[in-house]
Amino acid sequence: MGTQNLQPAIVQFAQLDKLLALGRANSLWPMTFGLACCAIEMMATGASRFDLARFGAEVFRPSPRQCDVMIVAGTISKKMAPAVETLYDQMPEPKWVIAMGNCAISGGPFVYEGQYGIVEGAEKLFPVDVFIPGCPPRPEALIEGILELEEKVTGSRRWPRVEVG
Amino acid sequence: MEQQATLDLLYVAAFFLGGLGFAVGPFIIALLLAPRSTRNTQEKTKQLIECGMEPIGDAWIRFGIVYYLYALMFVAFAVDILFLFPVALVYNRAGESGLNVSDLQAFVEILIFVGILSLIIIYAWKKGVFKWERKIYNPR
Repeated sequence: MGTQNLQPAIVQFAQLDKLLALGRANSLWPMTFGLACCAIEMMATGASRFDLARFGAEVFRPSPRQCDVMIVAGTISKKMAPAVETLYDQMPEPKWVIAMGNCAISGGPFVYEGQYGIVEGAEKLFPVDVFIPGCPPRPEALIEGILELEEKVTGSRRWPRVEVG
Repeated sequence: MEQQATLDLLYVAAFFLGGLGFAVGPFIIALLLAPRSTRNTQEKTKQLIECGMEPIGDAWIRFGIVYYLYALMFVAFAVDILFLFPVALVYNRAGESGLNVSDLQAFVEILIFVGILSLIIIYAWKKGVFKWERKIYNPR
């Protein structure tokens, strides 16, 4: 059942990989896929006010085969978990996962002793690259998460870090 | 003259190869540069349905043709309406349109036109298009 071993490409050049990473980081294609209320914030992020397009990540694709990023936006119920895993399987490499909101991080408010309906965090299903805390996170937080992911892909931050206060 | 023709042929060949490379090249580049496998959790990478759900059976089944006939009926009447647009333009001033028809004549003519086309309904009715049942092809 499943593997996390990745067979690398046939041709590899360090400089070319850097270039590809730069291209990928600045045109991340997320998947149109929401599980709960966090998805509303995700929609707001994609819409005109917060405008995810400024960071090149606005092309929400309806098919996992065209996606780079899976934004797990919401509670993963045990009933939904196989579908989420299937979508993850169907995304081609390179792929990244953002766990958005407390439910996707750890199960959030639904965790209590003896609960039987919720997967306690997306990381129980597959590896997650970026965690965005919040219940739900504000659109700015999702944008920051995307920027974090860009930093992870390229190794350097392109946009200035916002200072608190 | 002979040389010119050869040169032209070479141009055609060059452009043909260029076009071919342009079309096939990206596939080869993707093959070389893309990772050769995908990390997965449930071995569902090759599943055809992309909505996460288990597919119910095969896509290569025989579909009922009932709706197709119904849609053809719609097309027939859509074309009918299309022919009525120019009529609607001149109908109010049939007498003065230079077509040399009286108002009554215009009315009767459009009645005959629509009447004949309306026979489609009776024809389809007799053929059983409006009955929503599966048409089973019986070779015997």
